[in-house]
This record gives sequence, C-alpha cells and structure tokens, in this order.
Amino acid sequence: MSVPSSPTPPAGALTPWTYVLRYRGRIYVGGVMLLLTNLLFLGVPVTMGMAVQAIGGPDPAGEVPRLALLMSAFAIGTAVTRIVSRVMIFNAARAAEYDLRGDLFAHLLTLDPGYYRAHPTGDVMSRLTSDVQTVRALWGAGILNLVNTGFAFVTVMVMMLRVDPVLTFWAILPFPTIFVIGQFMGRRIYRASRAVQQNLGALSNAIQEDLTGIQVIKAYGVEDARRIGFVEHSEKVLASNMDLTRVRGQLGPALAAVGSLAAVIVLFVGGRRVLSHDIELGNLIEFNGYLARLAWPTLALGWMLSLLERGRASWTRLESLLRTRPAVADGAGAALDPEEVAGDVRVEGLTLELEGRRILDDVSLHMTPGTITAIVGRTGSGKSTLVDALARVIDVPPGTIFLDGRDVTTLPLASLRGAIGYAPQEAFLFSTSIADNIAFGFGAGSTLPKARADELDRAGIARRAEAERAPVLIDGEPVPRIADAAGAAGLVRDLEQMPQRYRTIVGERGITLSGGQRQRVALARALASRPRVLVLDDSLSSVDAETERIILDRLREIMQGRTSILISHRVAAVKNADQIVVLDDGRVVERGTHDELLAAGGVYAELYRTQLADGVAVAEVAS
Amino acid sequence: MSDAAGGAAGARQEGVLGKAYDLRLMRQLWRFVRPNARLLVAWVILMPLTLGFELAQPYLLKLAIQDHIAVGKPDGLELLAVLYVGLVVLQAGSAFGEQWVLQLLGQRSMHGLRLYIYDHVLRQRAAFFDRMPVGRLLTRMTNDIESINEMFAQGVVTLIADFVKMVAIVVIMLSMDVTMTLMTFLTLPLLWLLVIYTRNAMRRSFREVRVRLAAMNAFVQEHLSGIRVVQLFRREAAATREYDEINAGHRDAYLTSIRADAAMYALVEAIGVLAIAGVAWYASTRLGGGASAVAEVGLVVVFIEYINKFFIPVRDLSAKYAVMQGAMAASERIMELIETDEPDAPPSAAAHPVPADVAGDAGGLVAFRDVTFAYGAGEPVLRGVSFDVPRGATVAVVGATGSGKSTLIKLLTRLYEIDGGGIYVGGHDVRDLPTEELRRRVTVVSQDVFMFNGTVADNLRLGRDFDRARLEDAVRRVGADRVLARRPDGLDGVVTERGGNFSAGERQLLAFARAMAREPEILVLDEATAHVDPEAEELIERGVAELMRGRTTLVIAHRLTTIRNADLILVMSRGQIIERGTHDELIAAGGAYAALERTFRRAGS
Repeated sequence: MSVPSSPTPPAGALTPWTYVLRYRGRIYVGGVMLLLTNLLFLGVPVTMGMAVQAIGGPDPAGEVPRLALLMSAFAIGTAVTRIVSRVMIFNAARAAEYDLRGDLFAHLLTLDPGYYRAHPTGDVMSRLTSDVQTVRALWGAGILNLVNTGFAFVTVMVMMLRVDPVLTFWAILPFPTIFVIGQFMGRRIYRASRAVQQNLGALSNAIQEDLTGIQVIKAYGVEDARRIGFVEHSEKVLASNMDLTRVRGQLGPALAAVGSLAAVIVLFVGGRRVLSHDIELGNLIEFNGYLARLAWPTLALGWMLSLLERGRASWTRLESLLRTRPAVADGAGAALDPEEVAGDVRVEGLTLELEGRRILDDVSLHMTPGTITAIVGRTGSGKSTLVDALARVIDVPPGTIFLDGRDVTTLPLASLRGAIGYAPQEAFLFSTSIADNIAFGFGAGSTLPKARADELDRAGIARRAEAERAPVLIDGEPVPRIADAAGAAGLVRDLEQMPQRYRTIVGERGITLSGGQRQRVALARALASRPRVLVLDDSLSSVDAETERIILDRLREIMQGRTSILISHRVAAVKNADQIVVLDDGRVVERGTHDELLAAGGVYAELYRTQLADGVAVAEVAS
Repeated sequence: MSDAAGGAAGARQEGVLGKAYDLRLMRQLWRFVRPNARLLVAWVILMPLTLGFELAQPYLLKLAIQDHIAVGKPDGLELLAVLYVGLVVLQAGSAFGEQWVLQLLGQRSMHGLRLYIYDHVLRQRAAFFDRMPVGRLLTRMTNDIESINEMFAQGVVTLIADFVKMVAIVVIMLSMDVTMTLMTFLTLPLLWLLVIYTRNAMRRSFREVRVRLAAMNAFVQEHLSGIRVVQLFRREAAATREYDEINAGHRDAYLTSIRADAAMYALVEAIGVLAIAGVAWYASTRLGGGASAVAEVGLVVVFIEYINKFFIPVRDLSAKYAVMQGAMAASERIMELIETDEPDAPPSAAAHPVPADVAGDAGGLVAFRDVTFAYGAGEPVLRGVSFDVPRGATVAVVGATGSGKSTLIKLLTRLYEIDGGGIYVGGHDVRDLPTEELRRRVTVVSQDVFMFNGTVADNLRLGRDFDRARLEDAVRRVGADRVLARRPDGLDGVVTERGGNFSAGERQLLAFARAMAREPEILVLDEATAHVDPEAEELIERGVAELMRGRTTLVIAHRLTTIRNADLILVMSRGQIIERGTHDELIAAGGAYAALERTFRRAGS
C-alpha cells in the first residue's frame, strides 16, 4: 500500500501477479541476472567435460589446471549473479507482500458490519496470515524458479544440441511427460490445497468460538460436547493435509523419475555412441553434466506447480476479499465544514429492510440542535438500526436522512461520521491505556496493543510514529481534552483508585474494568470527539443509577447547542428528554414529552407503569 | 500477569528466539511424537533405503564408464541401464513412502499436541482468560502448530537424513580414494565460515521479524473486533498509518535474512564447483606418477556426481534453518502456554472443615461464610461476606456497580477461588464437590448471553440430551416462543457467530429457556433489565417466576418485583453486606436501601 490514506485496493484487473508486478523493475533485473547465472553456469559443465577429456588426453598437467581455474572463475561469477538475482526477486516479493497487507488491512476497515457477520474474525485473520504467506511464496520462490527453470531448459538444450543432436533427441524424450503430469496433478493439488485452507479456517473459527464462550462452557459444563466438535475439526485438518501430501508426494518422485529416465537413456544411447566413435567420452561427460543441471529445475518444477496451485487457491480467497465492495460508499458531495456543523438531524420517511425483514417503516423525525431526543421501544423495534442508519453504518436510500439539510448519502463518510459521537452499549475498548482509548475519539493516541508495543521496545525497535502522534499525556497528565471527557463521563473517581491512572492498561495484561467502567470510558471517548450529534445507544446500562443520573444531568450542559440522542429502556434516563419517540415494529407509534406521552396512555405509559410501581422508581434499585 | 512476570517471559522468549535447535524443547516435543513412534521406525527403515538407491546410481555410472564405455566393451551396458532404471524407480517409491510417513508422523503428532493444548486451555481457571487474549491462544493452536509441523516435513527429520547422506557420501568417497577425498574437503573451512555467517544473520533477522509479526497480527485482530468503533470514529486513516509502520518494519526486517539466504545458496554451489576443480586438478597431477588415465577419468566422474550430491543439502541448509527456527520459536511459545497451569477448580487435597452451622442443610442450600476475595493482587472485592440461601428461598442482592455482586456468582460456581472463608452447597464446601456436580446443580443465567454457532436447539441443549418436547416446553414457559415464531425455522433456526442474528433481548429470552430446560436445583440469575423491552420484560417476569417457583434462587436483582418478593435482600457496598432484611424491614430501618429507593423515587417521578 503506497498511500495509507487511500483505503481502496487498486481498481481494474486483479491477477495473482498484480502486486508483484509493481516491482517489475527488480523482477527484470533479477531475471536478467538469472539468465546470466544460467549462461555462466554452463561454463562449468563445459570446462568440466574438457577437464575430464584432458585427463585422458596427451597433456593433462598443462591443460587441467588451466581448466580448473576457468571452472572456478565461472563458479564465482555464477555465485555473484545468483546472489543478485535472489535478492532482487525476494525483495520484490516482500515489498509486494507489504503492499498487499496494507491494502487488505485498509480495505477491511471499509467493510460494513454485514461483512463481518458473514465472515468471522478468525476466518479473516487466517486469510491475513496464512494466505498472504502462501501468495508471497508464489511471488518469491515461484517467480524465481519459474524464470530459472525456463532459462535452464533453454540454455541447456542449446548446449546439448551443440554436443550431439542425436543424443539430445533421446535425452529430452521423457521430458514432455512433465506437462502431462503437471496438468493432471495440478488440478488435484489445487483442490487439495483449497480443502486444507478451508478446514484450517473452520478449525480456527471453532477455537475462537470456544475461547470467547469459555465462561458459558465452564458454567454449563459443556467441555465434553465442545471437545467432540473440536476433535472433528482437527481431524478434518489432518485428513485434508494427508490428502495434499499424497498428491504432492506423488508429484516429486514422478518428476524425479523423468529426470533419471533421461539419465539412463543418455548412459545407454550415449555409451553406444562413444563406443561407435560418434562422440568422445568427454562429450558424454559434458552431456551428463548438462542433464544434471536439469535435475534441480525439473524437481523445482513440481514443487513450483504445487506452489502455484496453493498460491492460486490462497489468492482466490484474498481476491474475493479485496473485491468485496463496501456496502456503504462515500457521498459525492462536498464535505461539511466541521466547525460549522450545527447538528440538525432530519429523518424523512425512512424505510429499511435487512435480510428480508422490514426493520424500519416510514420513520420521520426531526432532532434540532440543543435538544435531547430519546428513542424508546422494545427489543427488535429498530432503535439501534435507526442509529446505525444515521451514521450510515447501514446504508440508507437517498433523500431519507439529512444532516444540516444535506442528504447524508451525498456527504463523504468521514464528514458525516465526524459530526457524530457514538457510545455503544457493548463498549469495545483497545488493549491500550485509558488515555489512548479516550484520545481515540479525536484521532490521537495509539491503538497498538500495549503488550506488543512493550515487546517491540524490548527488542530495541524504535517506533517512528510515536513521536509524530499528538501527545495524549504530558508529564503523566492527560491533555485537557481527555481530562474533560473523562470528567464528563464520571470517570474521575475510578481513575483515582487506579495506581496508574490514565496510563492504566485496559484488557490484555492490564486490568479488567467493570462493565460500567468500560461503558464510561467509551462515553468519554465519544465526548472527546466533541460531536455535534451525540448518540448514547443504551450506553449506560451497566452504570449504576446514581452515576447515570449525574452523567445525564451534566450532559445537557456539555451538549448545549448540540444534538443528543438517547436510547434507553429506562424511564429515569429518558424522562427529561425534550422529545421522546416510541418505536414499535419499526414504526414511530408515539412521540412527545414525558408528560404528554404519559397522558396519552399508550406504549410509553405502559413502560412507565412496568418500571414504576407504587410510585417507586425501581428500574433498578441499584444496578 | 504482573508486568514483572510478563517481562520475564518475554526475556525468556528472546533467549530462544533465533535458535534453530534447543534440546529442552525437543525433549518436550518428543512427548507428542512418541505415541506415533511406529511411524518414526518406518521412516528409519525407509530413509537408508532411499539413500542406498540414490547413492548406488553414480556407482553404476562409474562401472559403465570404466568397464564398458572407456574400454570399448558394449556388452553388459544394457544390464547396467536396466539396473539403473530399477534403482530410479525404487528410489522414487521409497522417497514417496518416506514423505508420506513423515507427514503422517507430523500431522498426527500435531493433532495430538493441538488436542493437548485445547484440553489444557479449557481446564484453566477464569483468571487465566482475563489476561490471555483470544487471538494469542488461537495462534498457538493454529499457526504455531503449523510451524512445528513444517519441521517434520522439511526440518529436523530431513536434516538427520541429510546428515546420514553426507556421511555416507564421505565414506563411499574415502573407500574409493582417500587423498582425493581429502582434496575435495579442503573447501570445508570455507563452508563452515559461511554457515556461521548465515546462522548469525538469520537469527538476528528472525528475532525482529517475529516481534513485528506478532504486533501486526495483534493490531489487526483488535481492529477487526472493534471494526464498528473504528468506522464510527473514522479511525481508518490513523489505524492504517500505524499499521503501515509495523508492516514496513516487518518487510525490512526480512532483508537481512534474504541476503544471508541468497549468499548461502549461491556460495555453497560455488564452493561445490571449487571442490570439483580441485579434484580434477589433483587427478591431473597424479597422472604423471603413472596412474591409469581410464581409472582416473572414471573416478573423477564419480566424484563429480558425489560432490554434487554432497553440496545440495548444505545449499538448502538456510531454508531448513528458517523452518527450524520458526518451529523452535513456536514450540517455545506453546511450551510456555502449557507450563502456565492454573487449573480451574482443582480438587482439594484434604476435605475442608465444614462449620457446624452449615452442616447438612442447617444454614441453607447455599451458604457463604466470611468470604474474602480479590482479583489478582488488587483491592479486595469481597470482605467477609456471609449469608444463607435456604432451600426454596429467593435471596436478592442489590448494590452499586463494583460492589461485588457479580463476583458472588463467579465464586459460587468456582470460576474463581476464594481467598478466605468458605462457600457451601448442600452442606459441602464447594472446593470438595466435584466441579461437574457443582456446576450441574447451580445454573447461572448471566447478562451477557453467549450463543454458539449451530441451531437454536443446540444452544438450548448445550451439551445435554434433552428431547424436543422438553425444549419446546422450556421455550414456551419463558415466553421465548414469540422470538422463535418470528423466524421460519423455529428451534432449528441457525444461530450465527455469537448469536449475532438475534438481538440482545432475544438472546436473553433464549438464555432463560436454556436455564429452564435444565430444571436446576439452584438458580443464579444476573438480571439484565437494560436489554429487554417492557413487553418481553413482562413475559420474562412471568417466566422467571415460573422458573423460580420452589427453586433456590440467588439473584442479582434489578427489578422491583424481584426485590420485593425476595425472602431476603442483601445490600452490598464495597465488598461488604451493609444491610440485610426484607423490603419492608429495610425501608423501616431507613438505611442505605431506603436512601437508594428515595433516589429512584426522585429520578423516576
């Protein structure tokens, strides 16, 4: 990936070679060097044949040392060109791998939640690790051997013809079978490789699932049942690997046999031709030397064939990933001036269907700056979908949602999402410090897991970008934007109880935050982004009632002049909203203030009654 | 894990990093190879056969030249040619067998290792998973195992074969002509220097590569897990930049090893030719001493063949080095994982004394006595908690986030071990009950409902063999039939990863059905009102009432009805029970509970 900021893969035709051909310069130099290598290397059997001939000749002591020196010179020349060719081609492969990894990662970040529902993380990770490696092997070892084999065959053939056309004819007789073998085995190797990759993907999914659900597995004692599934997956991997071995294992000996068959023919036919004085013994030795040169390329051919097929299988998986269009595309219009966004959100007749189910049905809403809108409704009523639609995490039809009067489908995604701050119910945090997690809200901080960063430090690997990033802590104190957000999210007391305070690491090798703490860090992150539209998607559900009340009270002040959207089931949380919208089965069934809705005696009033009995608010006595 | 421990493990890993061979690791790996030792025996038989078939070929060549071609005697050449073909076929067959046996050995051993790790990991206690990211464990069981597997096909085993082959070649050469053999191996010091250079360069390079690769994978894993957040906060560009930096470092770290590998490959080949040149030169000097030209020619030709065969394995050494190094690093990581053993709920050595007041059912079916607990070395989460849940009674626990409510559940099911005091079920210390029995008797319904890939029915059964009627009954009783009615396949409907195709509320209902089907002796409920809408709430309330009828229940309560109907309410604050009693008693007492309730009255009215 050449430009980090352009997260789309190259347009146009994608072949397995697209990436590596960007470095065609190095490949060409490597190719020329390989040609030189092969030419120089021919000098070795020539001089070798001459040397053997000279030993049996009239002046061995005079001839042979000269030839031996010449042979050595050829060998050293070959070594130099070979080193250059390998370095060039393998470096090109690594460079292309780097590009591919970058494109894959950038592309993955553009794909919508729907893609990740259909493709579990384990599966995507296995593409990014083992498939990328396989494709890179195709580029490095694959190209090198492909070119080398081609040159080797051509140059050797020329030399053989020079020595004895008749013997050459006999010697190359077995070689065409290589193509038959290749055709036949190639397809089988491809199928077997694909099966291995698929089974590996399934295995890693099964493991991932068991590890994520470990608490349930333990609490319900499902270990044995899950183990059976795991054993099945692991056995499938074993079986498919053995299938691949069988196919590949047949290929090597088959090709070796071709080469050896040629050697036998040379020995037999060539021997007779020496005896009949058509050629000299030295010629036969030389000829044998050429044939030996073909042994390795021929074997490599088989290995390459499997490399090619495996590479193709892996590439197909990577290509299908790269070809997946993000379901949501940037709008074509100009971006809004981030400083000027007012945060006026209008929804007009929004109807959304997902997987054949109508989630939202003709929803119209107007949320004006400076107000708090609460969205209430039962599970599956479409509340969260509505929020996803606002930020276009799920795409919407044109002309249904407007931000400051602009159709959101005409806005660049960055411009739209930049205006919205979002605090989800299931708070996802990165395994970095609390400060980094809050700084995430305004594009600062690092998201590299801290444990990994430490490992890089220990290995003495400096990270350049560290210095370039905006600081999140100055002398251990957070920058004001972080401190303000943490304060507004009610985190100050929690932070005081942590010895490392803002440097406290979340998750991996760090502390385990409580559900409420996680939600509040996520809220701080949303507030730190200084959004024009703030969305709290049931994001204080694990926070105790008192803290929630304090946070919500403060929110009105913080969000002054801006738009807030609250999703909650809890009357206590929504009753002070300027506007309460009740969704049911994707339709807006009620709207108004708390008092109006209570008076109307509809769904909202019903909700209120469930949560308030005997005049006591009890949604949670103390969550 | 504390920072110090993490550092130590890291340092240890760096010790082995770059090494291609480590006896200790090999011994540990042997445990998994041993069950398949028969395959190893088969290989030990096949390997010399392949070698013999291969090394006999140049000898036939020598015979052909010395006895026939060079002396003009065509008779018998046919026989040699047929023998040669025979050797070629035999070599191919036995090489195939060798590969097959090796792969099977590797695959079976790794299957065994994989199962061992799986069992090991699943046996660990909950605290282990708190600090061990899923991605890392996943890598151990997939990529790391694959790396070790490579070792069988291309690494240590073939190195042994190569070594045997090289020794055999030297022996054959010595048996033919000692001085000429010594001439050949004048090049050995050169070869040695080369090997040392390559090894050092590769070790350096691989160490760096590994650290960067690990960072890269962890980075990707996290960003994919949090993709929604990444997109909503338009972090794409910044994340791509940070990724790019590690990615570029990873690429550059390889350059050293590419150079070393190229040098090794090309120079070994050159050294091989130098050896041949030396042999030819030496042969020519001997001729003056009256040696037979025909014999010398035959000898030189055979030596050329053997020298070529000798240098090929050396040439491929750097590739094998890479494989071995990868396998060693992977083994080190796996062994480190296996050595970290913090078994979940291990059986206790001696029975714990049971206080008289909880013996039998005296105290209650569930009894906590002076329980203290802290996660890791941190602040205690529970300090001296004692209470009883009499058979058939409902005890509700209320308190602020972080007061230790959820911890009670984790301790009761022995997901974590208490630091002091005792927890008793049916008069037995939970540490003395078989874990399986304990967890069968206590069924937990938590806020976070986890569902597995499969069908709804699979998820309700969860390892038990309930019949369909029982599932349908459970589903109906908790009111989850409404959830299923909306979907075409009902109980046979597919559940995708983590139940992603069900909403949080729907998952809640199904979790209740799951518990209901089990008819648990002790029910532990972590109520989650936040996820469920009023309508479902009503259904659940009814279902839960049904579920709780006559059942011993410990509930982390959020709902008024639950709290009011509880036989006992425990109010928790900072790891202690600060009040206990019925709703009316606590209101009358005018303490924390009453204050808490007033807060809500204010907030709600």
